[in-house]
Amino acid sequence: MSIYILPILFIALFLYGFFKNINTYDTFVKGAKGAISLVVSIFPFIACIMIAVALLRVSGVTAFLAQALSPVFTFLGIPPELCELVLLRPFTGSGSFALLDDVLATYGADSYISRCACVILGCSETIFYVATVYFSQTKVKKLYYAIPCALIASIVGSIVACLLCRVM
Amino acid sequence: MLISLGVLLFVNPAATLDEMIGASAGALELCIELCAVYAVWLGLLEIVDASGLGQKLARLLRPVIKKLFRVDNQEIQKMIALNMSANMLGLGNAATPMGIKAMRAMDDGSGKANFSMIMLIVINATSIQLLPSTVISLRSNAGSADAADIILPTLLSTIVTVSVGITLVLICDKIHKKIKARRRP
Repeated sequence: MSIYILPILFIALFLYGFFKNINTYDTFVKGAKGAISLVVSIFPFIACIMIAVALLRVSGVTAFLAQALSPVFTFLGIPPELCELVLLRPFTGSGSFALLDDVLATYGADSYISRCACVILGCSETIFYVATVYFSQTKVKKLYYAIPCALIASIVGSIVACLLCRVM
Repeated sequence: MLISLGVLLFVNPAATLDEMIGASAGALELCIELCAVYAVWLGLLEIVDASGLGQKLARLLRPVIKKLFRVDNQEIQKMIALNMSANMLGLGNAATPMGIKAMRAMDDGSGKANFSMIMLIVINATSIQLLPSTVISLRSNAGSADAADIILPTLLSTIVTVSVGITLVLICDKIHKKIKARRRP
């Protein structure tokens, strides 16, 4: 069902544009042109954050942190096996999906741990990535409480996710 | 970054540069992919914008946006409306260009994030996802019997995440204002 939603929306959009007497081709091209400059301007920020994540992982800092924090996670009701996933999730989308794949392969796709991992990934976002990219085009240097709020919210979400997986 | 560089100095100095360049190449790859995705979405969004659909959507969502983000500028309201709609549809990559535009328009040049910007970041960083499609496809690839049975728990916990996020921003904003008021009596 859901695979039909987007194509239908697109057809509706083009038809609507047609009836509104818009040159859809020119308009589309004009919008699409903006993609290149946008990507060029956010590339350095993405590169920097991905380098930082790669260094964190390869140096073993995240693994160490995951081990150190596993009692905390157990206390919060999050399986300690998912420490690294929860820690890396705010930084990298592709990295955390790779980790999810590992978890699925190791523990089996229908195990409690795997379901927790799926729900945690589904309900959280790459906070630092989003913040870097969104703020990259502004002059803002002081973010105040933006990151802490988002982080606390996703930790609460992860705890709820694991609880829900137990009952559902 | 500095800490991990320091640790690497002792553990595996040879891999440092390779790893950094590898990650940078990964970023480039991601950007090329993003460029393709953005081209499609920005093209479609331009049509949405030109046909007046954007305005209509913004008018529909205006009460919510006005209350939540405290912005009166119609142009910004429209971008936020598009950003939120894309997020709801699970199209994070379509939401990003609109979000960036909204952020740029909300920037007052003072170098400090204002309430609306923080709200937009937190909502995007805890985004509501109606359909976690990537997770489901990964799971069914791993041989799950019922890969879609995580949809409901995901939806519930994502609602929790977003509402906690919004509440925290509202609380922090109050505290922040109080501190400011105390500093300048």
